[in-house]
Amino acid sequence: MRTNATSGTWFLSSAILLCAAALLFSVATLQGQWLGYPTANVPRTPSGTPNLGAPAPRTADGHPDFSGMWEAENRPCPKEGCADMRTSEQFFDIGARLKGGLPYQPWARALMEQRKAADGKDDLTSRCRPPGVPRIHTLTWPRKYLQTPELLVILDESTNGFRQIFLDGRALPKNPQPAWNGYSVGKWDGDTLVVETIGLVDGLWLDRNGSPMTDAAKVTERFHRLNYGNMQIEVTVDDPKAYTAPWTVTLNQYIMINTELLEDICLDNEKDLPHLNALGK
Amino acid sequence: MSAKASARTRRGPFIKPAFAAIVLTGVSLHAQWLNFKTPGVPRTADGKPNLSAPAPKMPDGKPDLSGLWNADRGYLVNIAVNLKEVPMRPAGLELFNQRKDGALAKEEPDANCLPQGVPKIDAAPVPWKLIQGRGEVTILYEAFSQFREIFTDGRELPKDPNPTWLGYSVGHWEGDTLVVESSGFNGKTWLDQMGHPASDALHVTERFRRKDFGHLELEITIDDPKMYTKPWTVKENPSLLLDSELLEFNCNENERDIRHMVP
Repeated sequence: MRTNATSGTWFLSSAILLCAAALLFSVATLQGQWLGYPTANVPRTPSGTPNLGAPAPRTADGHPDFSGMWEAENRPCPKEGCADMRTSEQFFDIGARLKGGLPYQPWARALMEQRKAADGKDDLTSRCRPPGVPRIHTLTWPRKYLQTPELLVILDESTNGFRQIFLDGRALPKNPQPAWNGYSVGKWDGDTLVVETIGLVDGLWLDRNGSPMTDAAKVTERFHRLNYGNMQIEVTVDDPKAYTAPWTVTLNQYIMINTELLEDICLDNEKDLPHLNALGK
Repeated sequence: MSAKASARTRRGPFIKPAFAAIVLTGVSLHAQWLNFKTPGVPRTADGKPNLSAPAPKMPDGKPDLSGLWNADRGYLVNIAVNLKEVPMRPAGLELFNQRKDGALAKEEPDANCLPQGVPKIDAAPVPWKLIQGRGEVTILYEAFSQFREIFTDGRELPKDPNPTWLGYSVGHWEGDTLVVESSGFNGKTWLDQMGHPASDALHVTERFRRKDFGHLELEITIDDPKMYTKPWTVKENPSLLLDSELLEFNCNENERDIRHMVP
């Protein structure tokens, strides 16, 4: 099993988490040393254990350094252990911690309820499509952040894909090509990296329930590395077509040490899709 | 036509369906998000980019290979285009002969939106961005929006890696050349569109040297004792792409090509 610095939990949300299921099965046998390569420069306590509460590292130019392997928040594993992957409730409903939930427009709520009732059988990620922004932060696969002064790259194990966030001062484009990851630029607000994204394709799913997002969406992510082991991403979605007001949620991320990204090619030997429709209620 | 669009359309014949889609969209790509000016480009006295200026250096004195690179033409179709002979074993030759006239094109991995593998992905007709970071060199490939990590932190190739499409890669410097060794392939990749074969015994050595600001030399050695009687080497020459950016390329989005492939 993948070394997991924080929760050590694995969770299977539903049979429809196809690609995750495939990964789970392969992960179970992954004892190979290529995953056990020790992460460099991990702060340690006097006893030698990783000190995840140590201050966040900084780059040469003094900004917080987000580089590292990160995973989403998982539900805690009970004492008796957990056989299944335990995703956070935000994976299912990104607004789960908002009082009253997401402020859906009526059509958006109806669509979400319909998708939820179908157990997410039309989830785009089940068809090997990218999760998009901001859903990338709630999936069960790890992500590796690579930071240079001009660019923050997020390598995403779930699609073997990547997202670029430009830190070089460019403005958001006026008429971007619609993309699953949109077009993202970031600037520093003290120790917080504020990333604005537009140009997202129409119809992204924000969560497993199928909360919709339209091409009118503007997403703001405030990345804050609290310490070595913990990062918070405060996500604001402003999508007047689908929601009556902008809303903000916090997505917690945890460092993973002594591990690496695996290659996960969703389409490789894909056999799940024909079985999906049978699962929809 | 923008510089970007002309660069895209000048890349020559793309015969594979997976790449046909981007050619068609490429024609209309005039939007300014692709025309972001690459900073730090050396200029001649008349203000033009000086692509033969010296290669930039990292703070530690190593050459900085970072940039957006366009593959050299021709190698996608036939990696051995400039070789007189490829030392094939009978098994390799038999497979190659079955594939080379296109009879098995439908089985080519990237026609099915599966990864091109190494080194074929270096020759893809869309650019790749090399990022020279601490402890690893990362290549972001526009082709199917994939990435590849090349670890430069001193680790060795693993002895029993998980077989993958893109293998496991480690790199070290020999003078001004980044030498990348890759193994751990799954044996399903083709080396080019003609179908030069590769097995799970494939070991690829890529030698990256930034000859000057605008030009890379990429020497690729194929060592696959199941398919070839001895290692063989080709030389590709990627060139720098200025004032542009990677586009998002989801191969299986609205994919309509594979059903039209013959036979």
